[in-house]
Amino acid sequence: MDQLVNRSWRDPELLLKALPSVLLQTLGFAAPLAMTFILTFQRTRDFQLRWTWDLATWADVFSKPHYWTILGHTLFMAAACVAACILLAFPIAYGLATRFRTLESEIKILITFAFITDATLKTFGWVLFLDKKGAANYLLERLGFPPEAVSFLFTDWATLLGMIYNLLPFAIFTLYISISNIDRNLILAAYDAGAGKWRAHWEVTLPLCKPGIWAGSVLIFLLGVGVFLEPKVLGGGTSPMSAELIRQTFETRVNWPLGAALTLVLMVVSVFIVLLFTRVLNMKRGGFGA
Amino acid sequence: MTARHHDILINALLYSVMAGVLLFFYIPIFTLIAFSLQEGRYLTLPFDGISLKWYGALLNSAPALTALRNSTLIAVVATFFATAIGTTAAIAAVRYRFRGKAIFQGLAGAPLAFPQLLLGIVLLLWFSVLGRWFGFNTGLVTAMIGHIVYITPFVMVIVAVQVHAFDPQLEDAARDCGATTWEVYRHVTIPLLWPGIFSAAIFAFLLSWGNFYITYSLAGSARTVPTFIFSGIAVGSSPLYPAIATVVFIPGLLLVVAATGLRRRSRLQGR
Repeated sequence: MDQLVNRSWRDPELLLKALPSVLLQTLGFAAPLAMTFILTFQRTRDFQLRWTWDLATWADVFSKPHYWTILGHTLFMAAACVAACILLAFPIAYGLATRFRTLESEIKILITFAFITDATLKTFGWVLFLDKKGAANYLLERLGFPPEAVSFLFTDWATLLGMIYNLLPFAIFTLYISISNIDRNLILAAYDAGAGKWRAHWEVTLPLCKPGIWAGSVLIFLLGVGVFLEPKVLGGGTSPMSAELIRQTFETRVNWPLGAALTLVLMVVSVFIVLLFTRVLNMKRGGFGA
Repeated sequence: MTARHHDILINALLYSVMAGVLLFFYIPIFTLIAFSLQEGRYLTLPFDGISLKWYGALLNSAPALTALRNSTLIAVVATFFATAIGTTAAIAAVRYRFRGKAIFQGLAGAPLAFPQLLLGIVLLLWFSVLGRWFGFNTGLVTAMIGHIVYITPFVMVIVAVQVHAFDPQLEDAARDCGATTWEVYRHVTIPLLWPGIFSAAIFAFLLSWGNFYITYSLAGSARTVPTFIFSGIAVGSSPLYPAIATVVFIPGLLLVVAATGLRRRSRLQGR
């Protein structure tokens, strides 16, 4: 926007508009996060929080490889989900932005509706579909397949399927926005300069939507490390991921400091990985990061 | 192969990927709708018969109705606050230049990229500690606050898109004609931003209505539809759960269609 109006924080116009959001996210996001950090230095005894101020919880976190194995598994699943989502979302976002003229708004409605429908319901639907006695096997058996042809429910594959299912729309939306914002003239210029369709695609379209690919990847990665429903319901809890471990720490072990510490470890490690990749990709080829 | 053939081939390829992904998106939704029509007591195939009797059972199930009522209540309150706070934040973020703007944008949008379950847990710790100090328990109100924290950034982003397309000179013109600040808002700003605000409100409602993670952490012993269904997955359930799921789909579908229709109309008017 060209006409940005300068406002001071003493200006009631700005205060009225920005302050509610600042207060909300300070009291409802930043302060709770700080509190989480403080809690990691306390202890619980007899299911009660004790204000002790020591490093016992952190010593526990860093001495048990079990937590780190689960974290590694979580990061791997999230990365696999990012790769699958970007590969699947690209043709769809590209088609929506440039080619699906007649059906564009219908397709958008269908995607939005599927996205907005509660994840619990859809995950439940997948259980009914993929179960050994579920809809998929029933239909396949009627078509002449051997019984129980689909039997990957309660494995990591089912977890991954659920994650891709629930996070794919984020990739579609971010890629769609970045592809629609590409100036058509740049592509036409490439044609004028003698580039073929594929060449224009590789050397103009794809580089221009790198920020979108990157933004989508970061979003999906950060959301992917926090999934709980998919490993619990579709994965059957057989190979837990970090979020489930954290949830268990709170629910069954009622160990708040440990849960708080594991939450922070998960967040810090994921954000660190995102920053590291941004750095590396920026060094390799100028301007990959958004 | 000519360029035209090439084009048709690419289109066919893109449309088939699209069709595949749409099928993928709708498999669990159609599965649930189908299972809600099962006449027998168990969620197994083949069905004993087709009937709507589980929808009738739904109307007589007190926990299911309480869950529906709680979901609606939380969603209405959360939509109202999230839309109001998010809209004003969007105007501030897009239209003004001020000190600490980057921090403001980061803070106001932060929950967008924060996993919901972790946000729920962090807030649960917060409310538990505060609750011990001030003597309250988690329940519907804490769930509402959690929803508002989570949804407001979504509203901000959606409305910001509309604010970008808005010509601030229209406000100046109204002011030059003698309109007061309030009148400018009432007659110029809000009507012009309305399509964005309206879609953001619908989006906010649906995000809240279908929210599982935050409610699960913050609602205490109160159940909403998603947490009610989650408890049903665990127990090995009856077609009552697919039936309530199907009922939940309907307002979502209607609202999405309404929002898209409104957006399209405002686009046509804008031309």
